[in-house]
Amino acid sequence: MSTPGSSSLPTPEDRPRRILLLDCDAFFVQVARRMDPEGAGRARLLIVGGSSSGRGVVTSASYEARPYGVRSGMPTARALRLCPDATVVPVPRSACTERSRAIRRRLRTLAPVVQAASIDEFYLDLTGTERLFRGESLQASAERIRKDLLEHTGISVSVGGATARMVAKLAAGRAKPAGVHIVPPGGEGAFMEGFELGQIPGVGPKLAESLARRGLRTVPDLLPVSEAWLVRWFGETRGRWLWERARGIDPTPVVDGEERKSISSERTFREDVVDDPALERHLVQLALSVGRQLRKKGLRARTVTLKLRDHDFRTRQASRTVEGAVESDRAIREVATELLSELRARRRVPARLLGVGVSGLREGDAPRQLSLLEETEAAPPPETERDRKLSHLGDALRDRFGDEALRPGRVLEDDPEDRED
Amino acid sequence: MNFTITRQNLQKGLAAVSATIPGKTTLPVLSNILFEADADGIRMSATDLDVGVRIRVPADVKEAGSLTAPGKKIQEIARELPDQPVQLNSRGDQVEIRCGKSHFKLNGLPADDFPELPQVGFEGGWTAEGRDLLSLIRHTSFAVSTEESRPVLNGVLWELRDGEMRMVATNGHRLARMRIPAGPSMQTTTQLIVPPDALQQVQRLFAEDAEVSVARDGNQLGFSSGGTEVYTRLIEGTYPNYEQVIPKDNDKHAFVNRKALESAVKRVAAVASDQTHRIRMEFSQDRMVFNVLTPDLGEAHDEIEVGYDGDPISIGFNANYLLEVLRYVGTDEVKMSFKAPERAATVEPMGGEDDQVPDYLCLVMPLRLAD
Repeated sequence: MSTPGSSSLPTPEDRPRRILLLDCDAFFVQVARRMDPEGAGRARLLIVGGSSSGRGVVTSASYEARPYGVRSGMPTARALRLCPDATVVPVPRSACTERSRAIRRRLRTLAPVVQAASIDEFYLDLTGTERLFRGESLQASAERIRKDLLEHTGISVSVGGATARMVAKLAAGRAKPAGVHIVPPGGEGAFMEGFELGQIPGVGPKLAESLARRGLRTVPDLLPVSEAWLVRWFGETRGRWLWERARGIDPTPVVDGEERKSISSERTFREDVVDDPALERHLVQLALSVGRQLRKKGLRARTVTLKLRDHDFRTRQASRTVEGAVESDRAIREVATELLSELRARRRVPARLLGVGVSGLREGDAPRQLSLLEETEAAPPPETERDRKLSHLGDALRDRFGDEALRPGRVLEDDPEDRED
Repeated sequence: MNFTITRQNLQKGLAAVSATIPGKTTLPVLSNILFEADADGIRMSATDLDVGVRIRVPADVKEAGSLTAPGKKIQEIARELPDQPVQLNSRGDQVEIRCGKSHFKLNGLPADDFPELPQVGFEGGWTAEGRDLLSLIRHTSFAVSTEESRPVLNGVLWELRDGEMRMVATNGHRLARMRIPAGPSMQTTTQLIVPPDALQQVQRLFAEDAEVSVARDGNQLGFSSGGTEVYTRLIEGTYPNYEQVIPKDNDKHAFVNRKALESAVKRVAAVASDQTHRIRMEFSQDRMVFNVLTPDLGEAHDEIEVGYDGDPISIGFNANYLLEVLRYVGTDEVKMSFKAPERAATVEPMGGEDDQVPDYLCLVMPLRLAD
């Protein structure tokens, strides 16, 4: 951060950023209603996900159904007991992807920097457009863009605005449904004081619990704690990160382009891990985390990469490209496990870091190349429809009940001191 | 070892073997070429342990013997030597090269360190016309798989049976098959899975009019003609039953000018997705319509005239697979056959009545939108 008045001409760094987060209101519900105006379109009480026989889980529920206690991630059978008059429709996946793209295309005509954070969330950076929009306030820009999207794509969004990404995201939550909430420059700190620490994006249940053990539940609880203490408790990176976020500081840029080249997750162990079964347990969890991020973005991956850093800081990597593209936990885990055993066979010494990554990303609904040959025993497909469904079901349950709700059997209690990046 | 060789013969030998020298190797002797001198001239050999090439070239041998010398260095030197006799002479592990006023000493390695090329007895083998062999290789080897998941698909299937030679290659998404009647001498029935690298050497080293002897010994295959030999390890495993996947009931046929089709596909593919290269083709009465729509990029529409009178059909393809196949079909007119949008399509050459049309078939699987 630069000090005000340090130079006479305002440099771009001095200017407060103008970031908006657009979050589609019950996106899947809106798309399902547009697809079937006579059926789903007329149902006030609408559940998207699962079937009317009660199988499957809720992906999204209409705002009208939510007062009945219906939440995403809940088994559809239970949702129907809470709200028996609701109409249930399956998730219109490809229509959702198509609509998401249409929104992105429209946004590109409205803002210089557009980043799709997921299928239904878009960050815009309007910094530098003050003159272009003739001094329009961020509030006015947000309202104009909201209206434009509704007109051109038929999708209603809630908009949060602030000088930082994370603050804009929290503000969008305050704006829901179908509203605009702008946090003015300088007002970030005061805005943050209204949140619990667990609500800060990036603070997971584990970290929240760890904070709670130290008596830190809300943002105001954390503010008096010095940065040095946070660093001592949570490590250099995470401690500083917490200190900044609690004050509404988030320098993460909005990066144009939704096409991520790769997704990865890695873990540095507090103590070097010696035996293979222990490494494999960590691998299972990393594969899960990567798979989840991949699916959240509606993508599939062609290449799986495993990264291993030995105790002497020698870093080794191995990758494999699979037939077709995969998105399921099982496929990612199995390829990564094979790569791990290859690397370990070459050099079996204590490891200090393990990472799993995927690349060669493509849209989940990209046309699929049909195959000539029977999928034989010798070469079974890397994943089946069942694997994909299981993974999506797992995601829905974790979204609803937290990451701890569903864990692979062989994963032991994690060491909270390990750092996951 | 001491011999004198013409610059042309030296270069001929080097050019034949040096393509087999691996770019990167953990075994230093593989970067070298093995020279063996005897009363009949010299033999030069190189190998990457999978494929080996050996060639005999005439030379005036004063002293028999053998030595290995760094392949790339000798080639660089030979390329620039004056057009005069070249003398190669071994001194311990060094090779001395003299030509006119040029004089070189290169450090070599003992011949004993060089891996022995497989011993394949050509008496028990069969012969094939260079022309036939090269045509089979050219028309099929492009279609092998480059992915590691199914090693058998990394090779070309070469079958000898029912008085025919056949080669087949596929990556599971598209397949090429060619059949050529074998000469009367062909009594053998066999099935081999040959690495495409070896076939590439065969294609490079043997002429159309050569009579090529072929023989198998265990998991090694050898090709030999006119003093040049190519050896390769065969890929082990069972090749999938390709006959089963070749459709026999494709009842919709389009007769298309190959060049017109090729350039239409190239045009519309320019706006296809970089990842899937997907184009959509629709056939109706004597018309073929192309449509491409790629979000965030744009769209394309094109049309060509074809001979078609089947029911209308709309089918999606990876443009690259189609273009590849069209490049090898060869004839001015091609026949495309379909059954349904998600079934294998075939492309075959078409000729006039007097034309010699090869027995060649390519198969391409369509692209489907995921559900």
